[in-house]
Amino acid sequence: MLVQRAAILVPGWPSSPQLPPARSSILLRPETRAVESLRPARHWLVVVCAGLAGCTSPQSALDPAGAEAQSVATLFWVMLVGAVVIWVAVIGLSVFATKIRPGAYGEKAGLRLIVWGGCVFPVVVLTALLVWGLQMMPVLRAEANGPTIAVSAERFWWRVAYGVEGEPGVAKSLPEGGVPSANEIWLPAGLRSEFLIGSPDVIHSLWIPSIAGKMDAIPGRVNRLVVEPTKPGVYNGVCAEFCGDAHAQMALRVVVVSPEEYEAYVARQGEPASVGADDEGYRRFMENGCDACHTVRGTAADGMVGPDLTHLASRRTIAAGTLPMSLENLASFVGFTHRVKPGVQMPSYGMLAEDEITAIAGWLETLK
Amino acid sequence: MAIGNKTRDNLWTLITAPTIWGVHFLLCYGSVAYGCAPNENIFQTISGFRIFVGGLTAVALAAIGFVFMRALGEWRRNGGRIPHEEDSIEVRERFLEFSTVLLAGLSFIAVIYTALPAAMMVDCR
Amino acid sequence: MSDATLDQSATRWAGKSDGEKAQADLNFGNVPPASERDQDDPEVRAGQEARLRHVWAEPKGWRYWSAVNNTEVGLWYTATSFAFMLFAGVLGLMMRVQLSAPDNDFLTASFYNQVYTLHGTVMMFLFAVPVFEAVAIILLPQMLGARDLPFPRLSAFGYWCFLIGGIFVCGSIFFGAAPEGGWFMYPPLTTQERFSPGYGADIWLLGLSFIEVASIAAAVELIVGTLKCRPPGMRLNLMPLYAWYVLVVAGMILFAFPPLIAGDILFELERLFNWPFFDPERGGDPMLWQHLFWIFGHPEVYIVFLPAIALLAMIIPTFARRPIVGYSFIVLAAVGTGFLSFGLWVHHMFATGLPAISLGFFSAASEAVAIPTAVQIFVFLATLLAGRVIYSVPMLFVSGALAIFVIGGLTGVMVALAPFDWQAHDTYFVVAHLHYVLLGGMLFPVVAGVYYYWPMMGGRRLSDKLGKIAFWLMFVGFNTAFLPMHWSGLIGMPRRVWTYPADIGLELPNLISSIGAFVFAAGFVTVVWDVLRPRKGEPYAERNTWNAGTLEWLAEVPDEAWGVRSVPIVSSRYPLWQQKNFMADVDMGRYYMPDAEEGMRETMVTSVLDAEPVQCLRVPGPTFMTFWAAIFLGAVFILATFHLWTLTLITAVFAVGAILVWLWRGTAMQPEKAEKDVGLGLKLPLYASGPKSVGWWAMFITMTGDATAFISLIFGYFFYFTVSPVFPPPMMAGEEIGPGVLWPLVALALFAASWLTAILARNTNSKGAVGTARLLMGCGVLLSLAASAAILWGPYVTGLIPTVHVYPATVWVLAIWTACHGAAGALMLAYCLARSLAGRMTPTHDIDIVNVALYWHFMAGTALVTVATIALFPLAV
Repeated sequence: MLVQRAAILVPGWPSSPQLPPARSSILLRPETRAVESLRPARHWLVVVCAGLAGCTSPQSALDPAGAEAQSVATLFWVMLVGAVVIWVAVIGLSVFATKIRPGAYGEKAGLRLIVWGGCVFPVVVLTALLVWGLQMMPVLRAEANGPTIAVSAERFWWRVAYGVEGEPGVAKSLPEGGVPSANEIWLPAGLRSEFLIGSPDVIHSLWIPSIAGKMDAIPGRVNRLVVEPTKPGVYNGVCAEFCGDAHAQMALRVVVVSPEEYEAYVARQGEPASVGADDEGYRRFMENGCDACHTVRGTAADGMVGPDLTHLASRRTIAAGTLPMSLENLASFVGFTHRVKPGVQMPSYGMLAEDEITAIAGWLETLK
Repeated sequence: MAIGNKTRDNLWTLITAPTIWGVHFLLCYGSVAYGCAPNENIFQTISGFRIFVGGLTAVALAAIGFVFMRALGEWRRNGGRIPHEEDSIEVRERFLEFSTVLLAGLSFIAVIYTALPAAMMVDCR
Repeated sequence: MSDATLDQSATRWAGKSDGEKAQADLNFGNVPPASERDQDDPEVRAGQEARLRHVWAEPKGWRYWSAVNNTEVGLWYTATSFAFMLFAGVLGLMMRVQLSAPDNDFLTASFYNQVYTLHGTVMMFLFAVPVFEAVAIILLPQMLGARDLPFPRLSAFGYWCFLIGGIFVCGSIFFGAAPEGGWFMYPPLTTQERFSPGYGADIWLLGLSFIEVASIAAAVELIVGTLKCRPPGMRLNLMPLYAWYVLVVAGMILFAFPPLIAGDILFELERLFNWPFFDPERGGDPMLWQHLFWIFGHPEVYIVFLPAIALLAMIIPTFARRPIVGYSFIVLAAVGTGFLSFGLWVHHMFATGLPAISLGFFSAASEAVAIPTAVQIFVFLATLLAGRVIYSVPMLFVSGALAIFVIGGLTGVMVALAPFDWQAHDTYFVVAHLHYVLLGGMLFPVVAGVYYYWPMMGGRRLSDKLGKIAFWLMFVGFNTAFLPMHWSGLIGMPRRVWTYPADIGLELPNLISSIGAFVFAAGFVTVVWDVLRPRKGEPYAERNTWNAGTLEWLAEVPDEAWGVRSVPIVSSRYPLWQQKNFMADVDMGRYYMPDAEEGMRETMVTSVLDAEPVQCLRVPGPTFMTFWAAIFLGAVFILATFHLWTLTLITAVFAVGAILVWLWRGTAMQPEKAEKDVGLGLKLPLYASGPKSVGWWAMFITMTGDATAFISLIFGYFFYFTVSPVFPPPMMAGEEIGPGVLWPLVALALFAASWLTAILARNTNSKGAVGTARLLMGCGVLLSLAASAAILWGPYVTGLIPTVHVYPATVWVLAIWTACHGAAGALMLAYCLARSLAGRMTPTHDIDIVNVALYWHFMAGTALVTVATIALFPLAV
């Protein structure tokens, strides 16, 4: 689908090296469907609704579901109203001066305008805004009273560990331990949870617009972000700092639940996978070396390079927020990683036989 | 050269006040960055550095105030009028004094702004 | 006439036989002094005009490209920067096509990343900053009633550097080798081979470093031009506002670009030689790049914005039919913004996890900078209010600029608050904000400037009709494209994404933006067509077609190469409005320098505060040496990109050689007489050294920039000290790490000795003891070479390996920086010795050694700080 059209436009221009061969198998269909489902044409209605009411979106800073996003949204609306008033006043003044009453005033009036409009007024407004902004900062970074969650931003996915112990700082890396997961973060509503954010490779930035502002993940540093989600629901998070080819498809889901549900979820994630070692898909998984990168706790797969797959099928998306979780999408991602998500680190397994991919995908789907 | 007042203004006197702002700003930022450097113990207060910033601010404001009053006094004593568009050494001098007054005013406000974070925040979070 | 003066004589480039004939007719060298001529005699004037025309004429044929006068170089510079702008504009449109629908496949991810990186890079480095330099090179001398800038060859050199570097950077995309890390190139994404293979990042760094050379060259030129080349009587309070802005902006370049050059050095050392400045595994920190980049990057925004506002400050009074209201307030705004803009850099790093209190300082300064900006806007409003505005196409673009820029300024106040920025940062809200600021604060004013000044440049007015169409297309298109981006940003669209999913409300705003972008582009194409369309039949515009008040409108239509017919005495801010009979007096040659008696290009040097005449400066004419110097220097950077070290070294030798030949033949010329009658009974010296000479100022200013780069490297050392738990790191494997104390102190002593010899050489030379002076210069060469060797010997002999850890790497960088400067100091002393031996430097004509002694003051400071940092500071910790 994602044809390298630039290469056709200009001879000698770059084309992606990982363009998989076209396949006429059933595998193309699910993938086609997966990508097609994101196509714009059939979504005109949705488009218009969302365009007008963009405030109700799982990814909007203006549809706050957290205390931080709420206070910043309030700040924004106030500033927006002020900005509109000021803009109208300035433009109105220039129209007045040039069209309505040209030449009606002298230099004295001009100087008075500079002193009051250019000096006094901005000083008053800016001082008020600055004090408002400054007093928000310590509050937004207050101490947490909920769980501490390590988030390691890696090219191009999110390694998550619940219940870690550690502190922010420079010249250090994220604390070890905790309950591992990936690409989906659950948070207890009403509690102030603390993210410890780091990266082993390049700079990323964790941004969950509905809940709080963003925080960079910088190699060699551990940064801290406190969030207090208020409204249960499923929200989108994205990487906000350019990190390479698949930057645009490095997303995650944030699921806000009650504290009790949160505890239950983390406990479940901590358990090993309940799968049989005699499964055909598991055999293929191991044979093809998937375990070199992925861990499935409870099995022999213990790779640490890619996401932990122990409870993969319990997550809402695959490929870091790129496709909805489904058997077809699992199969098409394994077969065509670079079509679904150009630049992704995981190689395409398009050379495997169809039934092999289907078997692996089928086994992965049992990892609830 | 006797041109009706004590000091002779030039481009260096013009930029004295913003330069004081610059030095104040860098010292504030540098000292607090050093004080918070490992980014650990972020809830420990840094009173020493805040007092340092406070003292620095007092000195900077006094210095800018002096520049302001000096230039304003000389400008006023010699007529205190704008727009300084005549062709004479005296008017050029008045122009520099008046511009110094304006820049000192801006620098004064900017120094107060710089001190605000240290006044309002107590730790390194 | 000595050989030396013949070199710069106007006859050098003209065809030999023609030139000799012309010279005979023109009577060069046999003209009575200007004060004795009767300017009312048409025959006298005709002779003067013929001589001026001959002296200032641009070379013919292929030699045209050796031209150095400001009108030619400025025109090439402007045209080239607009060409780069159009290229980057096409890239922008490609991005908009890609983003017009979710999950689009017009561009691949990798190619999109190259496209957006080049779009930003080219717009910022190859358009926004250079177009300021370009326009200033054209306009500044005209506004100051000067015949040319003080260093025309430096402008030409800067232009060729810009052209070569620009083509190198832009060309990379046609080989799929363009950088793809964004225009601020954050490491480690861009420094480590595993994340960014290929040459893209090297092309970005080395190509742009090369262009930064051009920017600093322009800054030196413009500062000296504004301070020292004003017309007599133009006191500081009478300077055109444009000149105030140019002065401030050139000063900002001087302090803003060097930190980036320092950052580039560290960056490239990591990429080429694996020195771990930004690698946390080995003690480095990617944050240092962000600091160095944004210490440059934020002032750069104002470097882009202020000169364009300066154009508004020239255009608005003309159409308001009155002098600006609040002249001092503009000075406040320009100087105040210049300073405050250096306290904003961390607001690009609000989300990096720095302590809130640190962010607070920058938030405060970012709010404070809005005050002078508001003053600026209100000065314009006040001028409109107190004037009677005549509407015209330039004024239309001015209004559009204000309407757009005010929105950008207001969103700027919003993102200056860290809590709001944590949401808006790195989203399309910021994309919208920066385009509102840059297009409203820069592109619209520049287009206003094009419509305003084109009658002066091209002789004819641009079309009113096309201008209006262009304006409305651009204005409506711009707002359609960029206003929705505020929205898309806040509803969750990060910047630098090559695609986005459907169903989260991003489809409509992006589609609208894409449509708007094409409407905007149509408007800009209309402007380009209006400028380029053939208009042979159209009549010339009348002279001073807008009835403006400032000196640049003295330009004749069609233009004469001499700049001004005679250098006027100025006694008001708007001489064409306020001084009676002004234009006629200038044209009749009734002011200074109405002639080119000796066939030399001359311009007047005046004092800083009150513009009292101090020197008649001979400026050099056309040459290809600047072209060759730029070619070889460009080759150094380009070959280094591809790791061709032998060729790099060879071309480096050629580059130094070309620069030396240029200096030898074109600077510090000894005039045939000590002083010259410039008219109105005034005699001015033809030669000046020390603080009276423009060369001394240029050296001083250049070294200020150089010192800023050096301080940035020192900042790097102390940055690592601050962020590392222990710095210098404790002993590794039983070896003491550090350069020791002995050799650095030996180096310091040797540097001090060479500094003293340089000063003594200057003093003895001026006292007439030429032999002693030569001996001292010779000793100085040896001493400084020994000093350079000693400073390198310290880290070498103690076995510091720069690839192991960031500490040895920083020590090496400081040592190498100092050693390179020591070697340059040795070369300069050797040059002075050669000049002295060749008779080109004498006790009375001693510019060379005086300037070199000035260099050595800075050199001594550099050596002292380096040794104190690398050898003494670790003892104190």
